[in-house]
Amino acid sequence: MDSEDDMHDANDVDSYEEDYYSGDAMYSDDDDDAGYEFLDNASDDSDDVSVSRQQKNYTILKEDDIRQRQEDDITRISSVLSISRDSACMLLRRFNWNVSNVHEAWFANEDAVRKAVGMLDTTNIKPPKAGELPCGICFESYTLDSVSTAACGHPFCNTCWAAYISTSINDGPGCLTLRCPIPSCGAAVGVDMVNMLTSDEDKKKYRRYLLRSYIEDNRKTKWCPAPGCDCAIEFDLGSGSYDVTCYCSYSFCWNCTEEAHRPVDCETVSKWIMKNSAESENMNWILANSKPCPKCKRPIEKNQGCMHMTCNPPCKYEFCWLCLGQWSDHGERTGGFYACNRYESAKQEGAYDESERRREMAKNSLERYTHYYERWATNQSSRQKALADLLQMQTVHLAKLSERQCQPETQLKFILEAWLQIVECRRVLKWTYAYGYYLPEQEVAKRQFFEYLQGEAEAGLERLHQCAEKELHTHIDGNASQEEFNNFRTKLAGLTTVTRNYFENLVRALENGLSDVDSHGASSKTSTSKHAAGTSKSKSGKGKGPTKGGGSTRTDDLTGWSCDQCTYMNPKNATSCQICHTSR
Amino acid sequence: MQASRARLFKEYKEVQREKVADPDIQLVCDDSNIFKWTALIKGPSETPYEGGVFQLAFSVPEQYPLQPPQVRFLTKIFHPNVHFKTGEICLDILKNAWSPAWTLQSVCRAIIALMAHPEPDSPLNCDSGNLLRSGDVRGFQSMAKMYTRLAAMPKKG
Ligand SMILES: [Zn+2]
Ligand SMILES: [Zn+2]
Ligand SMILES: [Zn+2]
Ligand SMILES: [Zn+2]
Ligand SMILES: [Zn+2]
Ligand SMILES: [Zn+2]
Ligand SMILES: [Zn+2]
Repeated sequence: MDSEDDMHDANDVDSYEEDYYSGDAMYSDDDDDAGYEFLDNASDDSDDVSVSRQQKNYTILKEDDIRQRQEDDITRISSVLSISRDSACMLLRRFNWNVSNVHEAWFANEDAVRKAVGMLDTTNIKPPKAGELPCGICFESYTLDSVSTAACGHPFCNTCWAAYISTSINDGPGCLTLRCPIPSCGAAVGVDMVNMLTSDEDKKKYRRYLLRSYIEDNRKTKWCPAPGCDCAIEFDLGSGSYDVTCYCSYSFCWNCTEEAHRPVDCETVSKWIMKNSAESENMNWILANSKPCPKCKRPIEKNQGCMHMTCNPPCKYEFCWLCLGQWSDHGERTGGFYACNRYESAKQEGAYDESERRREMAKNSLERYTHYYERWATNQSSRQKALADLLQMQTVHLAKLSERQCQPETQLKFILEAWLQIVECRRVLKWTYAYGYYLPEQEVAKRQFFEYLQGEAEAGLERLHQCAEKELHTHIDGNASQEEFNNFRTKLAGLTTVTRNYFENLVRALENGLSDVDSHGASSKTSTSKHAAGTSKSKSGKGKGPTKGGGSTRTDDLTGWSCDQCTYMNPKNATSCQICHTSR
Repeated sequence: MQASRARLFKEYKEVQREKVADPDIQLVCDDSNIFKWTALIKGPSETPYEGGVFQLAFSVPEQYPLQPPQVRFLTKIFHPNVHFKTGEICLDILKNAWSPAWTLQSVCRAIIALMAHPEPDSPLNCDSGNLLRSGDVRGFQSMAKMYTRLAAMPKKG
């Protein structure tokens, strides 16, 4: 596989954006970075992120859609070039199903194209004379009606044809370029002969190969890699983010077909996956689902999605699954720094001899990897758990809650939205650990900023996850009042929005390579001056209009304040909590 | 099975008729098994194999002629596309370029053509391939000639 074909040139993306942003697309006010390839503003007049986010740069094709398109392309070529559908199909396959390439090549040099696909000029070929003909495979003689020929006129008996074509079909997709058995001949054997001469089973296989070729040989389409899914995705090349979500709900990167991995790039993902498989022996223990309680040392199993662990009674010690630190040291109550995402290699003082030092270094590098891998893997399994919870919510709990609260299920959608957000955030957070692993250690300011952002993301997601997981259950199982439930609704919906915004901004900041840090240092993380400087991507006057409320920027979200009352991460410029209205 | 047997029998009869027509190839079917054949081929003239007679062994699969026969040299030969120890032959028509229109006779002809025109880029005999690839045609020819004399010449008694 040609990697240059696969990994599309970043320049394509840039030039596309130039075109795109020179249009009259509007920008919602909270999006201050026109340079990002987050095309969430494509719908005409909508500020609603959740609506405009559905603007897609790809099309999902079901099997019927694929067949229909293939048929349409064949019809088009066959009528424009006045050739049989059979020949049109072979031509298209030869040119990777690119209609305009077929046209171009055909009109440039018809003879060469005919030769390349085995479309013979049949004017000089005389039809076989009456009487008996020898089959070129079994060497027996047959009457005309038991013999078939390709365009070349070389006769083979129908039994031998069937065996010949069948052998080729069972050898693989090479059957799509099958030629006459006479070695020097080269006449194509196409779908018409297959349909005329082979068994139903072979026809089915051949049609399958033809369908696969339509997707696999086409530069713009790929199969959905989810097991059991028959859909394909057509992608508008050069249109930005490669993340696509199939009808089967699987999200993957169209470029490298790994699972969706924004904000990390494809190269990092493949490095990370290779690293993981190289280290898999060492890492098995991490995937184990229990750890000893840091206080009483009894094993405690992680059966919930969030990282907040509570040991079994009588111990009841509350701790963090990731760092095994006391939970009360984590964020909300202390208003402190959520620091368990940070890796600090224990630097030991003292003299080492050379071999000891090397051993120590090897140990450290494994320790460092282990740190990131464990957090990557834990978020992965949290995500799996959240997906299962979401399903459970849809199929069981929502109906129950609807009964208990006397509210139609449509009004409980905020719960599903919260869970969908959790699933997405776990995915992003997971990949930030691969990002962190490959962030050069010497870029100290960047690392600090990154760890700060990641820590905040983790804390925010924990709040949301905990609210959706634990608090919700008091409303499903307990007997909380209507009023309490309404408060819960406000809180969960608010947390969902805040967390979504935070993560979207985080993704952009990381995709941007934390470039703000370069120019301003870790302490002043403003992104507005980027526009004043005028980057090549944001055209002046298009990038951003005057901001609502006088300068709400992305950075404000990142360095917001946590409400004492309800723990929301409010934007910096908010004077009172956006959720519970307590003043700061 | 029946089809391959019938086809081999046709080839057998054809060989009987053509014997005189192609004096460079002598194809013989095993007395008790129609799926085993041997051939004696003459080294092509103006090559280091000239004057030698080389023996080939054919093993024909039941799917013949849809699948190619397996062929190897029984006579030692120094050739880039022939394995020196096993006699295995690297030739596209014996693999992915096989066509059921080929016969044992035409396979022999293709092998004679290969003897005259080695493909040093897909070598089974690295020593000989390297000699040719490095441009040492003389070195290659003298080695090939030596083995022809040692292994493929009728012993004069
Ligand atoms: Zn036949
Ligand atoms: Zn033909
Ligand atoms: Zn799918
Ligand atoms: Zn990718
Ligand atoms: Zn405990
Ligand atoms: Zn922690
Ligand atoms: Zn609040």
